[in-house]
Amino acid sequence: MKLALEILKEQKKYFYLIRRLSLYELKSNNKSNYLGMAWELINPAIQILIYWLVFGTLMRREPIIISGNEVPFINWLMAGFFVWTLFYQSVIQGSKSIYTRLRMLSKMSFPMSIIPSYVIFSQFYIHLMSMLVTFLIFIIINQSINIYIIQLPYYMFAGLCLMFSISLVMSTLSTIVRDVHMLLNSTLKMFLYLSGVLWPITLLSDYPFLMKVMKLNPVYYLINGYRQSFFGNTWSIISEWKYTLFFWGLVLVIFLIGSRLHMKFRRHFIDFL
Amino acid sequence: MEKVISVKNVSKKYILYRNPKERLLDLIIPKKLGEDFFALSHVDFEAYKGDIIGFIGTNGSGKSTLSNIIAGIVPESSGQVNVKGNTSLIAVASGLNNDLTGRDNIELKLLMLGFNKKEIKELEPDIIKFSELEKFIDQPVKSYSSGMKSRLGFSISVNVDPDILIIDEALSVGDKAFAEKSLRKMREFKEKGKTMIFVSHSLGQMKEFCEKILWLEFGTVRAFGDVEEIIPQYEQFINKYKNMSQEQKNEYRNEIMRKVNE
Repeated sequence: MKLALEILKEQKKYFYLIRRLSLYELKSNNKSNYLGMAWELINPAIQILIYWLVFGTLMRREPIIISGNEVPFINWLMAGFFVWTLFYQSVIQGSKSIYTRLRMLSKMSFPMSIIPSYVIFSQFYIHLMSMLVTFLIFIIINQSINIYIIQLPYYMFAGLCLMFSISLVMSTLSTIVRDVHMLLNSTLKMFLYLSGVLWPITLLSDYPFLMKVMKLNPVYYLINGYRQSFFGNTWSIISEWKYTLFFWGLVLVIFLIGSRLHMKFRRHFIDFL
Repeated sequence: MEKVISVKNVSKKYILYRNPKERLLDLIIPKKLGEDFFALSHVDFEAYKGDIIGFIGTNGSGKSTLSNIIAGIVPESSGQVNVKGNTSLIAVASGLNNDLTGRDNIELKLLMLGFNKKEIKELEPDIIKFSELEKFIDQPVKSYSSGMKSRLGFSISVNVDPDILIIDEALSVGDKAFAEKSLRKMREFKEKGKTMIFVSHSLGQMKEFCEKILWLEFGTVRAFGDVEEIIPQYEQFINKYKNMSQEQKNEYRNEIMRKVNE
């Protein structure tokens, strides 16, 4: 518990550094492309188009109904896909954040716990941009958005907490054993299909137990939250309070494990290179 | 005089594994695997404010390990290290981000060292001027030659005005003119009464610059004293060592290690 507080304090104290470093992170990722940062949006756009083609038109499926209204598949996909990309990129980049940057940081006195946070932050900027694009598209194609959209910042915050906690665990483990990063990579690919990004989990309504288990998935909680904010007509944070509680409980547990691991090994990271 | 560096009974242990499998197993099972290797064992050493100390020794004697520990880059395995003030280590392979330009690297590095926006703005022109990179400063670092990289790294470390400066073989890169200029900067530091540590194989530079010498041998302190006293001893030793065969060298090494472990 004490270690966890220490990590939170570090985040607060070095927030300026997190903000600045995340900008350099964005810069260094996209410097060598002519289109630069535009690729951060082009990439997911292409993916969405492919999934739309495969899952939206080629395959037969039931119409998607949220709160009694039918939602076009492409709108539904967009609302959930960008938060999935944010999650995927943050966790992948967060996991390798420490061992790839350690040589450059070198000093042990550097607040190491902000390394995953600034990497996640740089992804978050991209996410905000893609959300803006989503809004613009929804306005153009006349997708109505109602008051429940103000839940969106909450889900963003919840997402950041989840991603930071996971990155804290994974960045430590993958610094010690590099294979962990590889394992994570394939696990995440699996999560794309398990978290209801591409098909509505309600397809499983014949198997209520399986559906319940899948709903406990924290990634599903985020994606579903985004979709409820865009298309729903309830306060899903409260109406699904059991899942909200479970989500935060899980985040807390992961964060506590992560802070313990991180604090235990941070001084010795350099020995594992 | 104020004591700024105090290293007490410091050892640095590395574990050598035969293969990656052993390394992984060692993390999981309680039984100890792998072979211990002491890069430093029971090193004691002190430095006072304004001291200029040279680290000498053959390859693998632990000079770089010790300077890394003092700089706070590598943790010690046992013992105590106390360093007052901020340190700056200059090494040939200084961590630069290859994708960013020289200018971005300066800003990034300074940010990580804890400078704020205003201070960075002030320091930047000096660093660029000192590095002599001119129009290359806005090119990505991956296009730099090794000399340019080390010049940039050197300029950053020197211009942040550290209390303790540790120079690890960094003056051996770059042309003569830049080395001269760097030495001039070092002298400036010397006049300001800053503590400096030199790691080098060039005895000439050592003689000219240092006041004290720490002679390391296979991770232990062989001698620590004034330049006039140690350098001749070291030169004598090197001449003898050079002519030893590999077996004699190994035997010599084992003898030293035995003495240390007693």
